[in-house]
Amino acid sequence: MRLMALFTFREAWRKKVVLLAGLLTLAFLILYGTGLHFIVGDIAYSTDHAAVSFFEMMEAITLFSMGIYFAGFLVAGLAILAAVGSIAGEIENGTLYPLMARPLSRSDLLLGKYFGLAAMLVTYAAFFFLALAGLIYWQTGLILPGLAPALGLFILKPLVLLSITMLGTTRLPTLGNGVLAFGLYALAVAGGMMEQIGVLMGSPAAVYSGVIASFILPADAVYRMVVATVIDRLPIGSGQDTPFFNPQMILGPFGSQFTPSDWMLVYTFVYIVILLAIAVRTFNRRDI
Amino acid sequence: MVIIEVRNLTKVYGRQVACRDICLSVEEGQIFGFLGPNGAGKSTLVKILLGLVYPTAGEAKVVGCAPQDIKGRRQVGFLPENFRMHGWLKGEELVAFHARLAGLDGRTAKRRAHEVLELVGLAGEGRKQVANYSKGMQQRLGLAAALVGDPRVVFLDEPTSALDPLGRRQVREILLTLREAGKTIFLNSHLLSEVEQVCDRVAIINRGTVVADGRPEELQAGSAKVAIRLDGLTGELVAELRRRDPDLQLEGDRLTLALNGRVEIAALVTRLVAGGCRIYEVTPGHNSLEDIFVHLVKEGELVCG
Ligand SMILES: Nc1ncnc2c1ncn2[C@@H]1O[C@H](COP(=O)(O)OP(=O)(O)OP(=O)(O)O)[C@@H](O)[C@H]1O
Ligand SMILES: [Mg+2]
Repeated sequence: MRLMALFTFREAWRKKVVLLAGLLTLAFLILYGTGLHFIVGDIAYSTDHAAVSFFEMMEAITLFSMGIYFAGFLVAGLAILAAVGSIAGEIENGTLYPLMARPLSRSDLLLGKYFGLAAMLVTYAAFFFLALAGLIYWQTGLILPGLAPALGLFILKPLVLLSITMLGTTRLPTLGNGVLAFGLYALAVAGGMMEQIGVLMGSPAAVYSGVIASFILPADAVYRMVVATVIDRLPIGSGQDTPFFNPQMILGPFGSQFTPSDWMLVYTFVYIVILLAIAVRTFNRRDI
Repeated sequence: MVIIEVRNLTKVYGRQVACRDICLSVEEGQIFGFLGPNGAGKSTLVKILLGLVYPTAGEAKVVGCAPQDIKGRRQVGFLPENFRMHGWLKGEELVAFHARLAGLDGRTAKRRAHEVLELVGLAGEGRKQVANYSKGMQQRLGLAAALVGDPRVVFLDEPTSALDPLGRRQVREILLTLREAGKTIFLNSHLLSEVEQVCDRVAIINRGTVVADGRPEELQAGSAKVAIRLDGLTGELVAELRRRDPDLQLEGDRLTLALNGRVEIAALVTRLVAGGCRIYEVTPGHNSLEDIFVHLVKEGELVCG
């Protein structure tokens, strides 16, 4: 499994996946940083960082959340594209046959690929997250509360998408799998957005559809957990403990109107494990 | 010792029967030729033996293990038919990776990769990116990867389909060297002359069923052919010969007919000379395996279809 994981990681590296993703990300960061600079520049921040007011802080967090939201798209897209043809595609083009006769069980092959890609995606997502947090610090002087747990949650997102794409590729041809994975992801994102709007507008139906979507693919739910983690760790006494006021309201649809329960986190882990188990099983049973 | 054993193996894809009730056993140290027309089920059988495809019924054992067993696969090498190698690697990296998967440590893997690349005639090409290899070079690379783990049994699915004549000869020599080292080779092919030259045993499969199985000489026995260039052949003589072999062919000065064995050639020539013919050339049938092949496959068509 380890050999296969290293091989897969090396493949992503050699095929310039990392380089291209890195360049795109750099472009994104430059754009984001420029926007951030001008938005923040309009508001006079006190030079004394400790005195950053609650609303200034919330503004920084809103900007960060939006950055993370879009970064999530890039990370998710990369996860799907990297894994979309890793089994079926390799069978189609014939590169899997020589490997299949090696003393390498199918589960090792599949999990090796999963962990190889996961290593790449986690590195990428972490780098992206920290770059955004760094830009925020640079421009506003705010060290995001709950940075470490938020980072941990953020890197879960590509792992969720990776597991569903891996499952798909054990059965579906590359194109079909891509359509399915992107479709489900769009569903999850739209569902998450509906859920937040549903809360803000008081529409339970919209909230339920969002909840169902996040059970089908807990990708957007992971983003909400990231935001909730940051907000929940805002320092006491900076205004968020005002009664009847939820700081999440400021974030609007980018927020997390109620903090997802810890069970959502557990569900996400279980989801990844179960999907991988089904993927191994499907791969084990198919003819090649 | 029997090293590959197949018992009542059947594989059905949807409604297509690819292998039907196949029984085979291959002795260790043999070169076993598996022949058959396109779509006969050769590749399917090999894939079953390597655990890539699950049989519908029956069982198979390779080196005493079930095909899915990792332990057995340590002793097996495989050159698939429609394969490509990962183009982003260099040739030597790829072979070394296969060696690592086969269980060698890093340094041994590199050394072994060099050896097999040299063996298959890619000595100077190891540093090239695999994506830039020609078709024949890819096939040689595949052979190198199959042999890198020093396997006891090698499955080769049409190993020479993309090779130039020189490459084919090299592969034949490699096969003979392997046999000398006591390895077993399972060779899928429809290049009959190739099979005839190297195989100790041959099985012919048609439409999923094994229709012949034995040593090449055994299969060839009793159906010797002879081609004779001559002139002065009279109609009377032709009629007489046609009574012996109704399928006799006469094209210009070339007469081809079947005999019941090579010993009859001398008698035939004597008869022709006595009948007033001048003989320029006598060629004993060379592609007799091909004749058997064509004969069996045609017969199969009559029965099945
Ligand atoms: N994955 C599959 N799904 C459905 N049918 C298949 C599949 N693989 C093979 N077949 C069918 O099984 C039969 C045997 O195919 P196989 O590839 O074993 O033939 P072959 O003897 O190797 O032929 P060739 O000489 O052309 O390589 C064919 O009729 C083929 O159409
Ligand atoms: Mg074939």
